[in-house]
Parts: sequence; C-alpha cells; structure tokens
Amino acid sequence: MKDGSNLLGNIYISHRAIATIAHQAALESYGVVGLATKNFAEGITQAIVKDPLSGVEVTFTGSEIQIDLYIIIEYGTRIKSVASSVADSVRYQVERSTGLPVLQVNVHVRGLRISNPD
Amino acid sequence: MSNNTQVPPVAGGKESNNSVLDGQELKALVEAALTWLKTNQQIVNALNVFPVPDGDTGTNMLLTMQAAYDEVKQSGERNVGKMAHAVAQGALIGARGNSGVILSQLWRGFARALDNYDQMDADKLISALRESRNTAYKGVVRPVEGTILTVASDIADAAENAKGTTTDLIELLELIIEAADRSVKRTPELLPILKQAGVVDSGGKGLYFLLEGMLRHIQGLPLETALTTVQPLAAMELDHAMETVEPGQDFEVVLDLRPSQPLDLESFYDALSEMGTSIQVGEGDGMYRMHIHVPTENRYKPIDYAMTLGTVTKVAIENLLAQMETTQPQESHLTLAPVEPGEIAVVAVSPGQGLSRIFASLGVAAIVEGGQTMNPSTKDILNAFENLPTDKIIILPNNKNIVMAAQATVDMTVKKVAVIPSKTVPQGLSAMLRLMPEGDFDNVVADMSDALGDVETGEITTATRSVEINGIQVQEGEVIALHNGKLIKSSDTLEEACLGFLEAAETEDRERITLFYGKEIGKNEVNQIADVIRNQYPSHELEIHAGDQPHYQFIIAVE
Repeated sequence: MKDGSNLLGNIYISHRAIATIAHQAALESYGVVGLATKNFAEGITQAIVKDPLSGVEVTFTGSEIQIDLYIIIEYGTRIKSVASSVADSVRYQVERSTGLPVLQVNVHVRGLRISNPD
Repeated sequence: MSNNTQVPPVAGGKESNNSVLDGQELKALVEAALTWLKTNQQIVNALNVFPVPDGDTGTNMLLTMQAAYDEVKQSGERNVGKMAHAVAQGALIGARGNSGVILSQLWRGFARALDNYDQMDADKLISALRESRNTAYKGVVRPVEGTILTVASDIADAAENAKGTTTDLIELLELIIEAADRSVKRTPELLPILKQAGVVDSGGKGLYFLLEGMLRHIQGLPLETALTTVQPLAAMELDHAMETVEPGQDFEVVLDLRPSQPLDLESFYDALSEMGTSIQVGEGDGMYRMHIHVPTENRYKPIDYAMTLGTVTKVAIENLLAQMETTQPQESHLTLAPVEPGEIAVVAVSPGQGLSRIFASLGVAAIVEGGQTMNPSTKDILNAFENLPTDKIIILPNNKNIVMAAQATVDMTVKKVAVIPSKTVPQGLSAMLRLMPEGDFDNVVADMSDALGDVETGEITTATRSVEINGIQVQEGEVIALHNGKLIKSSDTLEEACLGFLEAAETEDRERITLFYGKEIGKNEVNQIADVIRNQYPSHELEIHAGDQPHYQFIIAVE
C-alpha cells in the first residue's frame, strides 16, 4: 500500500506493518486478554496466539484503512466499554504511527476468558 | 466506625469501633468517595495527556462510581461481602472508558475477597486490596505501569507490609492513602509521556481521590469543596459560572495576580471565601487567575485584597444579574421537526445549543447533548428516539467516540435503526441536507452516508497539554487545528490555525466555508477571523453561525 513518495522513490506501508501496530495497541488495551484466530472453532486456549497477523485484519478502501479486530475479553468487565477503548486506542496508535487515516475499527468480541469464577 | 468523640461517626448508627466495618459503613464510604471525586472531577480531567480537551478520565471514573453507588443507594444490607458485591455489580454495569473498566475490576476483586463476610477487619482489608490488584492485573495482557494499575499495586503492597502492625482500620486507611499519594507522584517516572507533559497519571489521581474521600468522611471533613483547587489555567471552566447564579452573587470578578512572594494558597482561599463564592484559582506561568462571585457590596474587595499580595492585571467585573436577563431569551425552546408515523426520524448528537438549533432547522426530530467530554451513553441515545411515533430511525453521532454507542442501540430496540457514521458536526449537517423523511429507508441511509465525504471538517481549539503528535510539536496553550479529526497544525494565533486548516482542506478548490463559533470566543474575535478568511478567499461564500459548543473556538465546514 503506497503512502507517498519522497525524493528517492515511493513509500509503501504493508498490511502486516499496520496489523502489528494494531495488535500491539490491542494487547495494551485494558480488558483484552488475547486476539483470536480467524477460525475460532477450537476453543480459547488455541485462539490466544502471539502471531501478529492473528486476530487483526487490515483492509484498504481507497487510501483509508479499515481494521477488524478479533479479541478475547476478560470475563467480568463491561464488554462495550472495553471494545470502545480498544477501537479508540488502535485507531490512535495506527494513525499516529503511519500518518494514514483510519476509516473504521471494527471490534469482534470472539470470546471471554474466565480468570476467576465469581 | 467512629473515631473519637470530636469526630461525627460514620453511618452505622450504633456503637461501633475502629477495627471492623459492616455493609452500611462501606456504603457510606462509597458515597463519600463518589462525592469527593465529583468535587475534584475537573482536576482529574485536566491531567489527560492528549492535546485536544478530550480529557474525561475524571468523568468516566465518576460515572462508574455513580453507577456503583446507585446500585446500593437504597440498600439496607449490613453484610459487608454482599454490599461489596452489589457495589461491584453496579460498577460493572456502569463502567465507562478505560479507567472505569479498571475501577470495576478493582471492585470485583475487592468484593470477592470479602465474600460472605459480615464485617471487614484490618486483615480482610489487606487481602481485599491484594485480591483487588490481582483481579485488575488479570484484565490485560500488557499492563502499562505508571497508571491506576500501579497505584492499586502499590497500595496493596503497602497494606501487606503493614500486616500485623495495627487492627485499626482508620490507621490502615491513612497508611494506604499515603502510599497512594507517593505512587501517584511516582507515575511520571514510569510513564515517559506523563513526564513530557509534566503531569501525574489521571487514573491514578482519580483512585487517590476516591480513597481520600473515604478518609475525609471518617474525619468529618467537607466533601463538596475541593482543597486547593489550583488547576491548570486551561482547565478553568469560567463559562459554567453563568448557569448557577445564586442569590447574593451579583458580580463576577476575575483577575490575574502575579504574587510578590510565594502565595499561601490556603489563606488566599480562606480570605476569598469570606468575600464570596464559586471560587476558582488557576495557575499559569508564575501567575494565578482568580475567579469569584460576590454580592454587590463586595465587588471591589477581591481586587483590593489581591493587590496586597502582588501585581494585579486583567481585572474584569461582570454584572451577573444583568447578564442573566439578557441571555434568558436566547434559551428559546428548540423547535424540532414533527414526526409523522412511518416517516424517517433523525436523532442527532449535538455539542452546542446553536448547533442544535441548526440541526433542528434542517429537520432533526430529536437531539442528544453530546460533545467531546460528555460521552452520551447508549441509553441516552435510545431514550431520545424510543418514544418517537415512527419505527424508522437514523442516528447521526457527529463524533467518532459516539459512533459505537449509537451502533449499540440497534440491538436494543424493535425499531429499525441505522447509524450514519458521522464523525464530525459538519458531516452530520451535510448528511441532513440529503434527508427525505418519506423516502425509502435504505436509499436515504445510503444517500446520507455518501454525503459524509462531501465536506471537509476543521476543528480549532486550544491545547491543554504540550505533546508531539503526527510530527507536530504542540505547546500547551497554543491554538491547534484538526482536519477531519487529525491534528495538522499548532500555532500561536487563532488566525494562523484557521488559515492552516483551510489550506490543508484545499479550500481553493471548494466553494463555501461555514464557521460555527463556540461558547468561549467573543463576537469581536469571530468577526476579525471572518475578515481574514474573506481576504484570503474572496470568491468563496462565507457563512457564520453561533454553535455554542464548548472547548472548540471554531468548527469549520468546507464544501
């Protein structure tokens, strides 16, 4: 994906680079305890992986970025607030690091992790 | 939990000692914490490290605590474990923002440790704080240190270290608060962005206030007036003063004071309290700005007093009552568009009165007060349209933070709801121009959504913080310009910021510029800027409207 050109040539920022930034921001976000794999059929333990592409999908519409996050949230937190915070955080970090506008951040809550039974 | 005979006892009624605490006493402490946080809400908000006045950690924590307290307000539960669980439940439901969610987790852990216990003693408090911290840390993969989490951790450690040294809960609380204070002061060492901005962590400070409120309640100290309300200058909310003019407050006096020697704030405050009310003191660069409401006979007293302390400049005396009379008619009834059954009704979130009027004139059926720091909840938005006599609803959030809350209403109602993802007010207005109430729902939604791209949005405001963003250096107090939500310029003057935005928005290729001026800017300045813009773009149409939005001097639409 082309960002712009400088005197020497063109600047390309890859899907993977953006996904990595988003992944990092998501993991620092409170309430998020993991990112899910796309085919979330096996269960939570298999789903929480560290691969930067897992759980983050980056699409380009024109020159604007759309990010889909597949996250696992800690049981007992207010899901809506956590999802909202993650979306905000990811958008802010991606826009700040790449200078590119983020059109949408969609948060898909794929599961909850129960650390403590209440 | 009564201290000694001089201090009024905490709610609980009959004879209780300092070493245990029951459900009712916990409830009273929660209320006290809530009240004290409310009193100091703006101080916490002002600590946020974004250049835009988006700061709402204080508000979020407050809303969360309010929900927690609402859950137990009517409860007569004496079992401390059950009470704690109810508080935690309330916090969970009402958790707003990051800090709110963390707070809800802290309560959750706290409650779990007290499970089924009738009363809490020192040992249980210590384990409750430990459990509180552990639960909170479980909620995140990469906890960021130098935040509310760190403070929670530090107080748990401090309590642990005090184990066995005392059975007195009050002593333990005092110890915990000292630890919290130290921890908060240490946060800039742990989180570089705090150090850069010269502040402590807002969430941590919020937690500190909650604990401090509890102690103040036990000590019988007042909770409604903040201690040293010296806030950053930019955080002073002078315009709110207008809404709460009480009898005996005839004049508003504002002045800047450069003290000839270090100011003793406590006695400054005390002296001012003798003269009037609504006292606010803001601290700037070697100077203080003081604001007070006084009865007519005292109108010169604050000035005379301040002059004994140093050099006084920028004195402003305003006759409040006369002002009130002239502004009354402005608060005219908003005439919203009537809704015919079966037609499409639009709900718009608006940050200011003037903007609400404009939305109404374009055919909006319901307005939700919104804006940058208010964060209307999903329920607020739902309530706005649930009673409208139609099942076709379109929502314009007009703020990127509200889009998700609006989206959540879709599943909460039987009505057909579509959210048009307008991220700014100009986008919302642009969409409104395409509204056809009698049209086919899906077509209208598509059409209105298309309109979002028609307009370039500029937002001009004052930075409350010095930061670097998008490669641009921002100094606190500078005027910053955002283009479609992204910071593009920081400058000393309003003029430069506005022109900078217009250039970035490629205004030469467009036809019309619309300025919506906010609450905090005077008409003279607006006219000045308008002239400058007309000079720069003589062939463009320029429209000026009062938006009444807080924080943003201008919202600009370029089409």
